[in-house]
Amino acid sequence: MVERKKLEIPEGVKVKVSQGEECDFPVDISPMHEGERIRKGDMYVELAGPKQPGFELVMALPEDQVEDMKVTLVGKDLDELEEGKAHPFAMIYYVAGDKIDSDLEPIIERRNHDFQNYIEGVMHLNQRYDIWIRIGKNAVEKGLKSLITIAKAVMLLFKNEMPFIEKIEAVYITDRDFVEKTLKEVAMPIFEERDARVEALHDEDVEEFYSCTLCQSFAPPDVCIITPDRPSLCGAITWFDGRAAARVDPEGPNKPVPKGEILDPIGGEYSGVNEFAKTESGGVTERIKLHSFLECPHPSCGCFEVIGFYMPEVDGIGWVHRGFPEPAPNGLTFSTMAGQTGGGKQVVGFLGIGMSYFRSKKFIQADGGWYRVVWMPKELKQKVINYIPEDMRDKIATEEDAKSMEELIEFLKRVDHPVVKGVVRPVDGKKITEGWAEEEEEEEEKVEAETEEVQEAQPPLQPQMPQMTIPMPVPFQQMPQIPFTMQSGPKIKLILKNATINIDKIIIKKKDEERKENNRTE
Amino acid sequence: MRSIAVIAVTGKGGTGKTIFASMLILHLCRKGSLLAVDADPDSNLPEALGVEEVEKTLGDVKEVFQHTRDEIRGDKSIWFEAKVFEVINELEDFDLLVMGRPEGEGCYCYTNNLLRGILRKFMKHYDFVVVDCEAGLEHFSRKTIDKADCVVVVSDTSKKGLKTAERISELMENLGINARKAIVGNKITDAKAEEMIENFASRAGFEFLGALPYDNMVVENEMAGKSVRDLPECEFKRNFKEVLKKFESWCLS
Repeated sequence: MVERKKLEIPEGVKVKVSQGEECDFPVDISPMHEGERIRKGDMYVELAGPKQPGFELVMALPEDQVEDMKVTLVGKDLDELEEGKAHPFAMIYYVAGDKIDSDLEPIIERRNHDFQNYIEGVMHLNQRYDIWIRIGKNAVEKGLKSLITIAKAVMLLFKNEMPFIEKIEAVYITDRDFVEKTLKEVAMPIFEERDARVEALHDEDVEEFYSCTLCQSFAPPDVCIITPDRPSLCGAITWFDGRAAARVDPEGPNKPVPKGEILDPIGGEYSGVNEFAKTESGGVTERIKLHSFLECPHPSCGCFEVIGFYMPEVDGIGWVHRGFPEPAPNGLTFSTMAGQTGGGKQVVGFLGIGMSYFRSKKFIQADGGWYRVVWMPKELKQKVINYIPEDMRDKIATEEDAKSMEELIEFLKRVDHPVVKGVVRPVDGKKITEGWAEEEEEEEEKVEAETEEVQEAQPPLQPQMPQMTIPMPVPFQQMPQIPFTMQSGPKIKLILKNATINIDKIIIKKKDEERKENNRTE
Repeated sequence: MRSIAVIAVTGKGGTGKTIFASMLILHLCRKGSLLAVDADPDSNLPEALGVEEVEKTLGDVKEVFQHTRDEIRGDKSIWFEAKVFEVINELEDFDLLVMGRPEGEGCYCYTNNLLRGILRKFMKHYDFVVVDCEAGLEHFSRKTIDKADCVVVVSDTSKKGLKTAERISELMENLGINARKAIVGNKITDAKAEEMIENFASRAGFEFLGALPYDNMVVENEMAGKSVRDLPECEFKRNFKEVLKKFESWCLS
């Protein structure tokens, strides 16, 4: 953690100090002014922005170090700056309060944008070291002469709207050298520290998750649960975005979801999430395991960037992204699978995710994480290669290694992929799959029982025989087509049955019972 | 608080809606602050307004956001808002926003949701917002622009032109766009044609704003790639003044 301490004001630079709440505000201050553009022609000066260095920063300090409502301006004031030009600018706020620690700094800092924009004739854009401020001629004409007035107004707004701020002090800087020095030595290390903290934040570190119901417009039962370890499946919203949105608009599409009791720490099941999902989905989704693929998976809206699919033939999981047009080894394209999986339902065997979920430390951890992954397009694999454990990087096939199921089976055997002998999931060291030797026998038994499906289940293994004996190009071209044509449509149902017999049965029984009950009551 | 009017100008391609929109823009911007929005990728509103080059469009910014949002640090909505402000062209007498290319693959729910909030906040600071949009009213259907006060349909006398007007009317109803609607005839050659549009207007619930003639001066000006600012005094311009009077008493009353 970077040590937080007050800036040392350099000697020999012009400094202006003002303390106390009393201040005349010559311009109107209200949320009404948000979004106001100050056009170049109407601008008195520009501060920071694309042409000049600048930043804004909030630092949490111990209470005895913060002098409440004090403003220190280092460098020229507004009425001394050359009109019509851009100037360097920095805003630093020291804050103190019982509930304030460095975790809250970015949340407080974000509001500087809002409050600056509340001031008539002040336009504030962007954040951190990208800030861009324009002060309008209209404001100056009305009597706005000092940056200290702006600082005072913003500090009062901070204290009003965030009552947990007990003390606040500001340092505004227009002196170029001091802006540059402070940006480099103080602000940047703090921004970097914050980013590192974001990466290191996990589900267990927070009290609540956030929901997203934006997609309910086309997927009515959909509920997306956004946690530090699981960003939204459209890839757009992280836990931090959800939190920011929920604070700005509590009635909006992102609401806080209290975690409640943890029911399954590995699968990621929480009582609070279940309750929320049940209410928001209108009863369609009753249980969600955030980090599970095969049991109570997260519902999929249709927006997902990547879809995962379970392949019972290898007892492994493949992933395909939106931009990959060809069929995956299961014979299905992204759009076919997306069509079956979307709509806000939970479809066991498929899972829509956002690209950044691959980065998660809890990535489908209940099902073995990366050790259960057997296939992904090369383009996708390249994008996420750094997050794949080193010992798995060569064991996950791409379309260059395997286009069909039999090629995939061959590849996995050759590289000795964990699914062949059984996957041990890293999270608790439990062996969660048996490996192929037993499974193949099991599958054959089942297949015998279900005569109709025998032909569909066998081709992946059989075509290899003629290929070996007839070294002619024609059969080679024909053979792979067989599984492709057969695997379209009905194949999927077979896969699901094999994978999750018990769950399927439960669901079917339930529906029947419900229907019967309905019939009776009617 | 300013009372703003969001005016959407639409119609079948080739009816002259962009000329009408740009003439309207050049007139209204003398009465108050104005934002011109080019929401039709096939139209050439910037050219008609005499803007030589538009470097970046909102569509470009949306694409950048869509593809890099994962790497944006801090608050994404603040970042996005700043980029939207950057692509607005500040001209001498009004601002111009070009919506630009259509969306790519993937889910734009989040992007459009943010954009809606940004545009809503931003647009309310203008006295007038004039949107040149294609007949599908795309940006209204996506609700990136979530309100319109008046919709003006420009139509020639072709069956298709009036059919489009009818379709726009239905679309407005389906989308819940609660705006007043008017129709203006363009490329009208005789009184019979004018009457036809007038009849259509009263039948379909449109305010009839008048008819503009087919004028060679307009065609030549357009062919030379000139702005409507350069349009010399002509029959079209004289008639436009009449239409404008009707428009103002109808829309701005």
